[in-house]
Amino acid sequence: MLMPKKVKHRKHQRGRTRGVAKGQTAVNFGDYGIQALEPGWVTARQIEAARVAMTRHIKRGGKVWINVFPDKPVTEKPAETRMGSGKGNPEYWVAVVKPGRVMFELSYPDREVAKGALNRAIQKLSVRARIIEREEAF
Amino acid sequence: MDQVTVVADTGRALGTRSSKRLRSEGRVPGVVYGLGQESVVVSVAYPDLRRALTTDAGLNALIDLQINGESQLSLVKDLQRDPVRRDVIHVDFLRIDPTAEVTVEVPISVVGEASEVHAAEGITEQVLTSLTVHCRPDSIPDRLEIDVTNMTMDDTYMVRDLVLPAGVTTDVNPDDPVVAATLTRAALVEEEEVPEGEEGEVVEGEEGEVAEGEAAEAGGGEPDEEG
Repeated sequence: MLMPKKVKHRKHQRGRTRGVAKGQTAVNFGDYGIQALEPGWVTARQIEAARVAMTRHIKRGGKVWINVFPDKPVTEKPAETRMGSGKGNPEYWVAVVKPGRVMFELSYPDREVAKGALNRAIQKLSVRARIIEREEAF
Repeated sequence: MDQVTVVADTGRALGTRSSKRLRSEGRVPGVVYGLGQESVVVSVAYPDLRRALTTDAGLNALIDLQINGESQLSLVKDLQRDPVRRDVIHVDFLRIDPTAEVTVEVPISVVGEASEVHAAEGITEQVLTSLTVHCRPDSIPDRLEIDVTNMTMDDTYMVRDLVLPAGVTTDVNPDDPVVAATLTRAALVEEEEVPEGEEGEVVEGEEGEVAEGEAAEAGGGEPDEEG
């Protein structure tokens, strides 16, 4: 799974997600992409699950790009613990995603197979998303 | 190349609110600049703009922009889109001189099927999707085509392999790759006879730093803290 090698601070505050993505809103590397339609956190597990779902479906002859990186640690307190006594332990990593962000890209010669792979990947994500294609025309 | 006439209204109010009002009325705010003249803020009807940019010439269509009754030959220099809805929210028009060279981005299309590459379980990857070319406005190509039918494994077609029409030149390095035939990681793994390999090929994007298959413990992974 994806995670940073080294961080400046072990625990982050949660923050709020406002607005839409400023960059990476179009397909740049592959032919198709998965675009987020709502703000949210995508965990490293979900990213890995989406990647595996895509690569299993296309089998071979394609290429996948992952454009998000889970660099935000999420902490959780152990079960049945009284409140207080400081912040919990880092448990997993998430990527903060805003609407419009292209999270995955895929290059594959067969359009139907590519869309099938991307649909399977979308099922693994916790944000609403859609498939978009490279834009060349209006 | 045919010209499409688009009527532009001048004197639109500036600012977010008035621009949103224009868009709700079916108009697209824009600006016209170039040829050393003052820039002019305009608005154009969305259907007219759509009609102008959905010809064979695509986004490089020559537009006869009617501003206050005066005709001005122009190209679309930039289109801003809403990141989610994909609507065009702003358009930049560049005034051009019909007798002078212009610099435009022309899309590159891959034609044919690289059957030899596919038979060897490789893929053809299009590295360059558009080429910056210089030419006169009347000789802007709709698209550049590159045929991959005779492509073999480990072949790379470069910019120099593109056939540019007469009067069209480019400053792009001729050794830059356009289409490359490469083995997928799955095929490579199979060649090395490693029993459990990853399927497909994964490349981390701009934020990706950790390679595929990196051993990281589920959830509990805690990297070193700096300083």
